Amino acid sequence: MSGIHVEGLGKRFGERTAVEGLSFHVRPGEVFGLLGPNGAGKTTTVRMLTGLLRPSEGEATVWGHPVDGDGEPLRKVVGLLTEQPGLYDRLTARENLRFFMKLHELDEARAWPRALHYLERFGLGGREEEPVGGFSKGMRQKLAIVRTLVHDPKVIFLDEPTSGLDPESARTVRDAVAELASEGRTIVLCSHNLAEVERLCERVAVVKRRLLAIGPVKELRRAGHALDVRVDGEAERYRNVLTSLPFAPNVLAEGARLRVMLADEAHAPDVVACLVGAGARVHSAVPAQRPLEEVYLELLREGRG
Amino acid sequence: MAFRPRRALAVFWKDFLDLRKNVGLLVSMAVLPTVMVLVPIGVVWSYVRTPNHADLRSVALFYDPSLPLGASAARFLIDKTLTDWFGMFLVMPVFVPILIASQSVAGEKERRTLEPLLASPVTAAELVTGKSLAALVPAVAITWVAFVFFCVGVDVVAWPLVKMPLMPDALWTFGVFVIAPLFAFFGNGVAVLISARVSEARMAQQLSALVVLPIVGMVGGQVAGFLKAGLGYYALQGAVVLVLDAILLWASIRLLDRERLVSRWG
Repeated sequence: MSGIHVEGLGKRFGERTAVEGLSFHVRPGEVFGLLGPNGAGKTTTVRMLTGLLRPSEGEATVWGHPVDGDGEPLRKVVGLLTEQPGLYDRLTARENLRFFMKLHELDEARAWPRALHYLERFGLGGREEEPVGGFSKGMRQKLAIVRTLVHDPKVIFLDEPTSGLDPESARTVRDAVAELASEGRTIVLCSHNLAEVERLCERVAVVKRRLLAIGPVKELRRAGHALDVRVDGEAERYRNVLTSLPFAPNVLAEGARLRVMLADEAHAPDVVACLVGAGARVHSAVPAQRPLEEVYLELLREGRG
Repeated sequence: MAFRPRRALAVFWKDFLDLRKNVGLLVSMAVLPTVMVLVPIGVVWSYVRTPNHADLRSVALFYDPSLPLGASAARFLIDKTLTDWFGMFLVMPVFVPILIASQSVAGEKERRTLEPLLASPVTAAELVTGKSLAALVPAVAITWVAFVFFCVGVDVVAWPLVKMPLMPDALWTFGVFVIAPLFAFFGNGVAVLISARVSEARMAQQLSALVVLPIVGMVGGQVAGFLKAGLGYYALQGAVVLVLDAILLWASIRLLDRERLVSRWG
């Protein structure tokens, strides 16, 4: 069973519950976003799925390997990029990578060309004999990514992969992530960079100890019933008319556009009727996609309540 | 979970490579053997320089009131120094692995390298084995090299008086090749255990180093005349340390539990 299958997963540390009742599936070839504020349980979830922590409840398999088993076969198929690069400063880039090749019992003659390919792709070609202690933050991050990929993992967990990278390097990493997914690997991306998540992930899960929402990014952005209305002239003059409606508590006006948040999608015709009644010439009224950031913050607010 | 020697050797290789590039640690490791070799040579030389000094006899009689009148007090004190110093020499195989193992285990936490390492297929037993080898091999090698210098130095210095090689004798040969590795294993085990519980390499070193105090204390007891050192005495120490080694090995593998380490330090 490839991909990731999680059912009712939970973790307690003594009296404290870090994660509870998580359920989701990630397909092979999918880039899945795991979102949540600091302390929401993302890292704990990733640690359970990489065999570093044993779940307190529920079950999960990663590429067919149960996470509550002895963990060794599981750790052979996963690659984990931690938030901190975690490299050995006195060792060279090559020695750092060779160490992980040895831990994965790889044939170095075969594994090194793959490592070299990624080093070159991330702009580290020719730097492999230099001690890592002299690398910049971005170079260290890129080397840590290469280390994550050196054993050709089927499932890759990336925690803030573009942290500390310049825009060009971040683009290279994003392209590499998309390419790895296209090769059939399952990728879980933990990031606070929501623009990056929107760009890379087909689906996301928002967690805050428990699962707050899960679904395709497009659907989540559509959720919450917003309506984009284009009118003739300045939209601002119709804003007050709409805010007086009980089902449209939040209205934004910009140029000729009105963004109307609705309590219920069924009120969309009422908004149009109200505008027409107020003398507006309505050109279009379409369900709006909200920025992921807005959806995310709203979910967290609801989760807090 | 099968034990894969290749992975344990990978940990050993990495730690050994890291040690070779750690100049500060290498200097710290060189100081102790230098002292351990030079001090007894200096003491032997002081006896050889004035073998008929009246005070030497008084000192010798303090340790052995039945010392025959015709016996050389200087020779007696040289033999006693060499026998007693072996106890002090054992500080080296205990202390050197403490320096290395504290760096290699607590150092992984400090450098935030622990989580990527634990996310690899390496098992706790392989990790403990690899890290222990990386501390034990240099410690035992340094002890043996220091022993060679010690033997040569003592023999050269003592020759004018005794006209024969004193070292290596049976006690030192047995001690350095059998007891010293057991003590090295002990120092390493203590350092691994403490490193698994604390967050900083320096704190791990300071706490682990406390285990040398009983050893120094026993040597103090020998010098004060309360304890009489000899082959049997050191063999008994070795047997006690062997039992402690087994306990430490078991505890180290248990304490290097992946979940415990990650949830506390990862």
